[in-house]
This record gives sequence, C-alpha cells and structure tokens, in this order.
Amino acid sequence: MIPSNAEAVSVHDLEKRFGAFVAVDKITFSVKRGEIFGFLGPNGSGKSTTIRMLCGILTPTSGQGQVAGHDIMKEPEEIKKSIGYMSQKFSLYEDMSPYENIRFYLGVYSVPEGQWKERMDWILDMARLQEVKDRRTRELPQGWRQRLALGCALLHRPDILFLDEPTSGVDPITRQHFWNFIRELAAEGITVFVTTHYMDEARHCERIVMINEGRIVATGSSPEIIAMACPSRPDASLNEAFIALMTRKIC
Amino acid sequence: MSWLRIRELVRKEFILLFRDPRTRRVLITAPLVMLLLFGYVVNYDIKLIRVGLLDQSHTRESRMVVDAFSASKIFMITQILRDDRELEQSLLNAKVDMAIKIGPDLARKIRKGETAEIQIIADGTMSNMASIRIAYSVQIIDKINQDLLKELYPQRMDYGKIDGRIRTWYNSNLDSQHFFVPGIVAFVVMLITLLLTSIAVIKEKEMGTIEQLIVTPLKPTELILGKTIPYIIISLAQMVMVTIIAIFWFEIPLAGSIFLLFSATCLFLLSTLGVGLFISTVSKTQQQAMMTTFFFILPFFMLSGFVFPIVNMPVFVQWLTYLNPLRYMLIIIRGIFLKGVGIDVLWHQYAAMAILGVVVFTAAIRRFRKRLD
Amino acid sequence: MLNLRNIQAVTRKEFYHLIRDFRSLYLAFALPLLLILLFGYALSLDVDNVETVVVDYDNTDFSRDFIRHLDGSPYFHIAAHLPNTKAATDYLDEGRAILVIVIPVNWTRDIRSERVSPLQALLDGSDPSFANITRGYVNAFISQYNQKLLIQFLNRQGMEQIKPPVDGQIRVWFNEDLESRNFIVPGIIAVIIMIVGAMLTSLIIAREYENGTMETIKSLPLTAGEFLIGKAIPYFFVGLTDVLISILMGQVLFGVVMKSSFWLMIMASSIYLAVALALGLFISSVTKSQLLANQGAILLTYLPSLLLSNFVFPVINMPKVLQLVTYIVPATYFINILSGLYLRNLGLAHLWPSYLVMIVMFTVLAALNYVLLKREGL
Repeated sequence: MIPSNAEAVSVHDLEKRFGAFVAVDKITFSVKRGEIFGFLGPNGSGKSTTIRMLCGILTPTSGQGQVAGHDIMKEPEEIKKSIGYMSQKFSLYEDMSPYENIRFYLGVYSVPEGQWKERMDWILDMARLQEVKDRRTRELPQGWRQRLALGCALLHRPDILFLDEPTSGVDPITRQHFWNFIRELAAEGITVFVTTHYMDEARHCERIVMINEGRIVATGSSPEIIAMACPSRPDASLNEAFIALMTRKIC
Repeated sequence: MSWLRIRELVRKEFILLFRDPRTRRVLITAPLVMLLLFGYVVNYDIKLIRVGLLDQSHTRESRMVVDAFSASKIFMITQILRDDRELEQSLLNAKVDMAIKIGPDLARKIRKGETAEIQIIADGTMSNMASIRIAYSVQIIDKINQDLLKELYPQRMDYGKIDGRIRTWYNSNLDSQHFFVPGIVAFVVMLITLLLTSIAVIKEKEMGTIEQLIVTPLKPTELILGKTIPYIIISLAQMVMVTIIAIFWFEIPLAGSIFLLFSATCLFLLSTLGVGLFISTVSKTQQQAMMTTFFFILPFFMLSGFVFPIVNMPVFVQWLTYLNPLRYMLIIIRGIFLKGVGIDVLWHQYAAMAILGVVVFTAAIRRFRKRLD
Repeated sequence: MLNLRNIQAVTRKEFYHLIRDFRSLYLAFALPLLLILLFGYALSLDVDNVETVVVDYDNTDFSRDFIRHLDGSPYFHIAAHLPNTKAATDYLDEGRAILVIVIPVNWTRDIRSERVSPLQALLDGSDPSFANITRGYVNAFISQYNQKLLIQFLNRQGMEQIKPPVDGQIRVWFNEDLESRNFIVPGIIAVIIMIVGAMLTSLIIAREYENGTMETIKSLPLTAGEFLIGKAIPYFFVGLTDVLISILMGQVLFGVVMKSSFWLMIMASSIYLAVALALGLFISSVTKSQLLANQGAILLTYLPSLLLSNFVFPVINMPKVLQLVTYIVPATYFINILSGLYLRNLGLAHLWPSYLVMIVMFTVLAALNYVLLKREGL
C-alpha cells in the first residue's frame, strides 16, 4: 500500500539502451497516487519501453525508479504484486471463456481460493460480462474483450494500473465507456498510468508527459502544455501543441 | 514456489491443448499413423522368393533340383524361361527375385561323378533381401547334393555331421512388428513433446500472453513447470495408449516391468522436453517451430537404431548416436518388451539418459530464462 | 497466351522470398546434403560381421578349426571366446553380441564316431531382419560344413576323390557388391525432390493467403497460369540443383555410379520434380494456411516417398491395401526409374511406362491447380 500523499511512480534519469541505440534517454518524472497519468508520444518514442521497465518486464540500463513503494531495480517481484497491466493486444486466452481467464489470473496472482467466488462475481459485474462468462473469448466483440482484459488486470486489487495503448482500434463509444470507468477507478484511489499515441485522448488525463525519441518533451496538465507550446492560441489541440514542440515552429 | 499457480497454469495448458483442433489432431493422428506405418510398412520378413527357371537339361536330375527348391515353402517357381534372353528380361523387369539356370549337361556330369554347375542369379537391388535369399539357396543346394550323393553312392550315409539347433532368444517368431512397435512408444513420445511443447510456448508468444505472464508475480520456474508438466502427463498417457495397442492389437507380449517403462519414459522426457523448450527459443512462429522440430526429428530418428542398425554405421557416427536419447530409450523399451530384462542389465542406458536429460534440460531452461528477460 | 514478363515478375519475387528465408534455404540445400550424408554413410541394411561369441566346451583341434572357419567368414566376427553359456547369454542380454555358438562336450568325438552332433546357436531375435539374415547365414555355414564332412566321409570309405555333384554358382546382378548404399543413395534423391519440390512449395501459396496479399494478386492482370509457372520456377531450379549435387556426391563420396544414361536421369528428375511442385502448390492452394500446409505436405509427400515407394521398405511385404496405395505415390515410379537407370542399365524402351505415369500425374495436378485458382477468382 502506498501512503496517501506519496508518489505511486517516480523515476530519475531512467535510461534504456539496446546496444548503441538509446530507447529511453535519462528521463525523470513522477506520478501521484490516484492520478490518471498520460504518457504520450508517437510510435517508437520509448513509451512501451518505459512502461515495461516500470512493470518489471525490462531491466533499465541505468537510473533509479520506484513503483508502488518498491525499487524497480532491486525489488521487481514486489512491484508485480501491486500492479496490473493491460497490453495493447489485450493478451487474453482466446480459446478460454471469460470465466476461465479470470480464474486463471486469480490463481496466478495467488488470490486465496476462498475469495475466488467473490472476486469472480465482482469482476464479471464490473466488466458486465456475467451473461457471456462461459463463451469463448474469441467470439466476443472487441469492446467486451477490452473489459475482460481490464478485469483481469484488476482482479488482485492492484495499487497501480498500467495500460499500454488501451484504446487502439476501439470504436468511439467503447472509448467513452472506457474512460468513464477509468475515472471511477481513479476515484477509488487506484493510480492509472496510460500510454497512447492518440493526443486527443490526453484530455482525459490529469497530468501528461510527452515523450519523443526517448526524451521528455513536455510535462504538465493538458492546458499547461498547450499554453507552453502555443502561447497565442489557447484553443489549440494537444496534437498541434505536440507538432509545434517537435518541429520547434510556432503553433 | 506456489503450487496454486502451477496448478492453474497446468489447467490452462490442458484446456488450450484440447480446444485447439490442430493439437488435438496431432495427439490422435500421430500415434495412429505411426503405428500403422511401422506396424505394417516396415517389414523385412522373407515370405516368398519368386524364381524364374531355365531348365536346359530336362532330365530326372534337373527335376530333382527343381523339386528341391519348390519343396521349401519359400521358393516358388513363378516363371518358366526358355532362353537366356528371357532370363535376362525376367530379372530386368523384376518379375522374379532369382533365376536358376540348369545347363544341358547336368545329368551327364552328375552320373559321371563330376561336378555340374547350376547358376543362381540373384537380383541384388535390395541387398539385404538378396543376401538372405542367397543363404537360403546355399542350403537347398547342399540338400540336393546330399540326396544326389546318397543315390550315387548307395550305402550307409551315417556320417558325423553337425546338427545346427538355432534357438531364437527373444522374439522367437522373428516378428518385424515385435521389433518396431515397442519402439513406436518412444518415438511418439518424442514427437509429441518436441512438437507440442515448442508450439505451446510460441503460441503464447504470438498471442501476447507471455508478456502478460511476465508482469505477474509468476516465477520463471513456475512458468516452466506449468508448461512442461502437462506434456509429461500427456506423454505418459500416450505411452500407455500405445502400449495397450501394442499388447492387445499387435499381440506383443510385455515381458518386463511396467514400472521400469514408466521411469524410463520420465527420464527420456527430460531430454525431449529440453529440446522442445530449446526449439521454442529459436523459433518465432508456430510454423518455424514445426520446421525446426522436423529438422531435429530426422537425425534423431535415423540415428537411433529404430530402423537402421547402429552397428552398421561408421564408427564416428556410432559415437554421435550416444548423444541421441532415443537410442537409449529404444534399447530399454525393446529390452523391457521383448527380453524382459531388468535394471541390472539396463542401468547403463538409464544412467546415460539421466545424464543426457539433465544436461539438455538445464541448458534449455537457462536459455529459456534468458529469453524471458 | 502467357505473358513472359508477368511470369518473370512473379518468379523474381518468389526468388527473393526463398533467398531471404533462412529456413527455406536450409530445406532447399542443407537438408538434402544432410540426407545424402546420413543415408550414404550412416545407414546400411546389410548384415555382415555379425558379432558372435563362442563357447567351446569341446576344445579340440577340430572344434578350434571350426571356430577359425567361422571367424574367417565375412559374415561372422568372433567378439569373444567365453568359458560358459551364462557368460555368453549375458552378452546377448546386454546387446554386445547377436549370436552365440555353443560347442558341446565330446562334439568331435561324436562326429568322428559318425554320429549326428548338435551345435547350439542362440540368436538375438529383437531385430528380426538382422536375425533372419543371420539365421540364414548360420544355416548356410553349417550346411556347407556338413557337405565338406560328407565328402570327407565318403573319401574315407575308400572312394576316390569325390566331388560334390552340384555346384551352385551364385551370381548377383544389378547390385554386384551387395551394398545397400547402392540402392539407398539414388533412392534418397526421390525423397530430396519431394522435400524441396513439395514441402517448400506447399507454403508459398498459403503464405499469400495468410498475409492477405492473395487479394491483391487476384486484382492484378495476372493469369492463373502465369502465377503458377512463376511461382514454380525458382523451386524447379533449386530442385534440379539438388539433383545434380546428389548425383555428384553419390558418385564422388560413395562410388555410386549410374549405369545408364545421364540425360534419362535428368529427364526423369525433371518430370518427377514437376509432379512434386504441382503437388506442393496444390496442397498450398487447398489449405490456405501455412501451418496446415506444412502438416499436409509431411503427410502426403515426404512420408509416402520415404515409406511407400519401395525405396527401403519392400512393398511386396506390405498388406495388400498399402500395396494398392503405392500405385498412386509418384515416388514409386521415380524409384523404379532410378533402379533401372542406376542398377539395371535400362533405357527408355523398358522404362517408358513409369515416365508416362509421372507425366500423367503432373498433368492432372497442374490442371487441378489451374481450376482451383480460377475458381478463387484469379
């Protein structure tokens, strides 16, 4: 558990090199507990690499970081117990039903068996999958699978939720529902860390970090960044702000 | 180590395995096809030798020669040839396996106490079959000689001679099936573990669920156990299934101990699972995994003593076979099925398999872990 | 009419695919080499120098002479002289010997007294083919020895030099040195062509379906005929190269020489290769999935060419049902031609039926391929 005023995530000079290629170039930022935090950037900017380092999937080349109160270099296993992760592909077992997928992850997260029934019902209700709980996941529409994937990431009641490009290829209505749900989670105290390359989605995030070619380009809330990049146009979109920052042209 | 986690992993693996129509097919068809093939295709027993006869003598003596061959159930005169050209054609066209040419002066020479020549021409194409046909012919000729001498020198022929009593130790019917079918148990286990283990890991990679698993508190050891235990269980089940078919359909007796068979299979699995895991680390797609499995299986199969005898291989190659777990497994399986021998004889093979298995498995795991990171 | 430029374009693209995929290259070149080496060096079905152990309870000049003759025969190799039967059967149990010869006490005395004396032979029957041949050898050896004894006996009776009435002169035709490699090495070419021709090509059309590029291809002004030919050409050349390499290696490494015409061989290989290619493309078009195509190819091309073509396993010994199946296996006819060209020095006059069957098979498969693609809208 993280104390209420502490930081859920904090990294300092985090770096990842693959041979000579620097994917993440000494970045520093932090995320407050209960925040909806956006990590924005184009493809190949280092977003996925960063999120993988925070989740314990990749080992950083150098730098320091703390996630859910644990050091990412020294205690990656502890971190994994307190976080949930949803990948771009949703990573579900297509040949298994929602029920079977949830049950599987309940086991993997070592949730005591006595609590399984209760958790199962909770997740199925929350994800509105009660009726299809025994159908093959392969047969479910995209939006439902997204809910299932979210459910599987939450069933062990993590402190932080990492979402990697969660709305790629999802229709606008489903997206709307998705963000509503994220807000509910944040209200309950769960920190949500989202990466995306859709700039317009950033408006859902309380704070944003913009990353390009491994380096942080801007930090702050959405209006703050627009003000910084396009001082003369307060109604500019985040997209335009990003382009301005990248090309160093005026907005 | 959490057994709960491992249990759920194993459960998931089984569900996926049985729901994927392709793997289901492999589980059923692979053993059946193999049993069919090696039960019925691979068979070197000599049941019939087709003979073309060119008799230029047409005498009582030549008749004796011909009858001696026909009397044995194996030789059958299927073609009567009229001249050398027909003889040549019959062999060229593979209408006969052997041609016998009896010259016109056979009777004359025999009656004069001289040696008459009979030409026995064997089709050497399949040299192993030809060798044995020749050996049979030699015996027939000797019998002919015995009879002729008895006639020529009518007196007591009680001479001191050797009575060869050949007893076959194990597999007394010299049944091809007895030899091959037990080996199928080993081969099926190998094929299934190599193929399915590597595909199982790669499927997770392709689905993206491996990444999902890495993010959880799941330890690499648990993941590996979760991935291998199902295939151990399945392999043992396959072993039982093939053994039952061997005993009840092919009527091959199981002379030895089932427990020994089980333990041998487990040791064998160490090697094959190791190779399967290894294949999963060098393949990116399921189809690549299939091809790589195929590459491994071929030499494993050829150089194991399954069909081709190891003693016939060049010494260098024989040394290579020591690295092949199938080689040891075959000796053990045949020993247990056909010879009924026990651990006192087979312990070399068990030890070798154990060492090989441990080495291969640990190396594979090490590589697998590195890939996970 | 076929547009050559279109064909060229398809061929070039397919060629790039082939060159860039490490695994295809392996299948195309390394595997055939491996097979030749394996089958040429390592695999032999011939039986000689059978590991034998002898227990001589008699221990006389006569018995020792017998054993010497045994060892002198190319068929037997005396691995050890053991003191008792138990030691000998241990050798059998451990697999260190296949044959045990036990000469009983008073053997020589019995024979000299013109009695029938038993000689015990124990044979490891585990490998029945081996055992059968060995048993044949033992019987033949004893039979010959007995003949010698009989002649000696008759001579002792006061007859002048008695000769055996009949001398069976054994001649071997076609594989004169009775080496199994002489039929295995050419035969492996049939397997190699199937692997290259069918297994490789089984993937290429399925790949287009899986990648979605098939849709694009259908919309091009490319006819089905041009597509098929263009796809097949690179693999045809790979296959032919493999054939040439195999023939060369067979000759240089193993001394396996073709007795008949080289050009007949090339002609037969080309036709058979064409059949393999057509078969592979067919499997690819039907399954539309690389994984399935791979499995199908192994089942329908590689295995039959290995097992049901009279290559190493005599078809004559198989159940009638399987024997009938071999009639539709292309490899059967090619193996027949190979046997004729390599071992029997036959020409077209004898072999034309096999050539014809293969040509017919190719035509049928090519037509099926064409129809299939046309139906898909190419």
